[in-house]
Amino acid sequence: MDRVIQFSNVSLAIGGRHILDDINIDIARGEFVAIVGPSGCGKTTLLRLLAGLAAPSSGEILLDGTPVRAPRQDVAVVFQDYGKALLPWRTASGNIALALEAMNVPRDQWPARIAELLATMGLERDGDKRPGEMSGGMQQRLQIARCLAQQPGVLLMDEPFGALDAITRQLLQDEVLALAERTGMTVFFVTHDLEEAIYLGNRVVALNASPGRVARTFPIDLPHPRDQLSTREHPTFLELRHDLFSFIKGGTGK
Amino acid sequence: MNQAAPLRQPIRAARPLPVDLRPFLLPLAVVGLAEVMALLFVPADSFSLAAPHQIAVEFARMLVDGTFLVRTLETLGAAMAGLALGGLLGLAAGVMLGLSEAADKVTSMTVEVLRPMPPTALIPLSLLVFGFGLTMEIAIVAFTTIWPVLVLGRAAVRETEPRLMEVAKVLRMSFFRRLTRIVIPGAIPRIFVAFRLAAAIALIVSVTVEIVANPRGLGYGMMLSSQALRPATAFAFLVWIAIVGWGFNRVLILVERHLFGGLQGDAR
Amino acid sequence: MRAIWFFASLAFTACLIGLWQLASATGLASPIFLPAPTRVLDALVAGFSSGAMPAKLGATTARVFVGWALASLLGVALGALIGVSQRARIYIAPSLEFLRPLPVSALVPIFIGLLGYSEQMVLAVIAFGAFWPCLLSTIHGFSAVEPRLYEVSKVLGLSRWSMIRKIALPSALPDIIAGMRVGLTVSLILVVVGEILGSREGIGYDILLAQRAFKSPDLFAGIILLGLVGYASAIAIDWLESRLVRWR
Repeated sequence: MDRVIQFSNVSLAIGGRHILDDINIDIARGEFVAIVGPSGCGKTTLLRLLAGLAAPSSGEILLDGTPVRAPRQDVAVVFQDYGKALLPWRTASGNIALALEAMNVPRDQWPARIAELLATMGLERDGDKRPGEMSGGMQQRLQIARCLAQQPGVLLMDEPFGALDAITRQLLQDEVLALAERTGMTVFFVTHDLEEAIYLGNRVVALNASPGRVARTFPIDLPHPRDQLSTREHPTFLELRHDLFSFIKGGTGK
Repeated sequence: MNQAAPLRQPIRAARPLPVDLRPFLLPLAVVGLAEVMALLFVPADSFSLAAPHQIAVEFARMLVDGTFLVRTLETLGAAMAGLALGGLLGLAAGVMLGLSEAADKVTSMTVEVLRPMPPTALIPLSLLVFGFGLTMEIAIVAFTTIWPVLVLGRAAVRETEPRLMEVAKVLRMSFFRRLTRIVIPGAIPRIFVAFRLAAAIALIVSVTVEIVANPRGLGYGMMLSSQALRPATAFAFLVWIAIVGWGFNRVLILVERHLFGGLQGDAR
Repeated sequence: MRAIWFFASLAFTACLIGLWQLASATGLASPIFLPAPTRVLDALVAGFSSGAMPAKLGATTARVFVGWALASLLGVALGALIGVSQRARIYIAPSLEFLRPLPVSALVPIFIGLLGYSEQMVLAVIAFGAFWPCLLSTIHGFSAVEPRLYEVSKVLGLSRWSMIRKIALPSALPDIIAGMRVGLTVSLILVVVGEILGSREGIGYDILLAQRAFKSPDLFAGIILLGLVGYASAIAIDWLESRLVRWR
């Protein structure tokens, strides 16, 4: 197996409180892994460790065989709070340009790259709008477009659709799936929505709360391409949904 | 939702202390440096500068012999009387303009022209009308404090929760009842903030008026010692004025927290 | 609709001036304290046609502008330095907060002691006064940058300098302008203090002389001019703000 991400014995304690305890996860190139768990289980913290925004107390996270010590440009992060993660004073194009600046892309290539990225996320007519003039769904599309400008090998998504309405969420789920398939990116997707996790993932990793531990891993054996109607009605989907729901319910002791 | 993990370089005190001493290092360093510089370069009988230890002696003397107390009461008295007058005028106008959009629009030009007027420009006028004394100082403080209270009071009234106004309409409350039961109570925390800011301004204006013209209070005390070429006394007044200003603001902020909780933005 | 309200508010102001005229014409207000608007206008016209008023107005405005510009430059630069560093803020910010309520006019005697009754003294007082609001507001702006944006710039791999220039500075801009606005108000207040105490030629000193000579029309003319300078500078800052922070 071509391992891209490897968590080995990762633990994190803050002020004597154990947030994460002995996490071991291996992720193969091109895999779409969804992380679920009750709130407070440390799934967002796990993503921040992988992004290099925080450091574990013990254990190691390897990315392509090298330990993560700081954020890397080939790892992009989609934050949940798109309203805070975009520059409100720049237009959509300007926000994408921020990533191109950071990547040292020659300035004469910007217009073409920006147009292409806007089109990829269906924002081709919104390049001159500022985030304040865009809906939540459009802002999250813009954040994804900015991440794609990094041409990342690994995309980290932290409950990216949690604040969106149901219809927008489903549209964006399908777009992210298609993107992942087309680019071959490895996706690390944190969510509290169990159905979303099954629908998107090749694998769902369920965490326990306090301290966060890997409780169980569910391989998702659903055919690709996935479809909001047929996939969600697929017998395997329903079975997985049943298993995961009863596991989470039992696992947290409620 | 996002558990905040620590950043890579957490900045912590070397040892956990009951009081964080780091903010005191800079002032101590400044005073120490001033003492050394004064010893090296400033003659003991300088007319413009004084060493920190000379200032400290003068400070202690005036603290003990009641000079500070008397002068502080004079300044604070004028500031508070001016604030009471200007604040009430500003509040009345602010509530009225907040309630009536038409009144606000009609008076907008007058307000916009008068508001940026520098209060110090009125010192000679006030002197001409009232002569030296408490009244001229009160008049200038009052004119200055009208505006912040008016503007903030107007905003506070205007931002009454619309849902509550609808409730009032459904309940068929009279205008007066709406004002006293819904608008004013809702606006009180922000009106207090307006008065707190205006109080800080009132103190500054009082001291300024005393320095420029009025022979009373802390400002005059300082001006007098400076003209008498006693820099240590003048600097001691300066330090005391800083302490009074800081302490006064501190007390008002504490009162505000006590009354309304600590949730309000610290408007500056 | 907006034009109607504009004329209504113009008419209201005109009415107030009319009342003022009426009060002096009927002798209700003493002409020594409250001269008729027409007499104030005469004083303004006389002052401008003799050329004395424009020179004084120019001197006063130049002091305000130079002192304020100097203060803004220093305030923003120093504020940015302190604001971007959490460590610097821990050591420095409390001292600055302590000095915030200090009336800058209290420093005038000290400045006179050091610089004498000179032009530099007046400029130093103005610059020192306008410096504080600008500095404190800039520090606040830089320390209040959305933490998520710092993370975004780390994830994107922006350099520290790019982060300051592209993320922190634009984000702090509204606060910086707010500080500069207060600084301008303070400058105008202090130019009068400086001119009066330093006996420097200008509108501020002029109104003191008018008061001493009981020339109330000249006194009012000077006050009105100072008010107009204040009004014009408020409009200029509004314009600057609308240009620079259009996204708000």
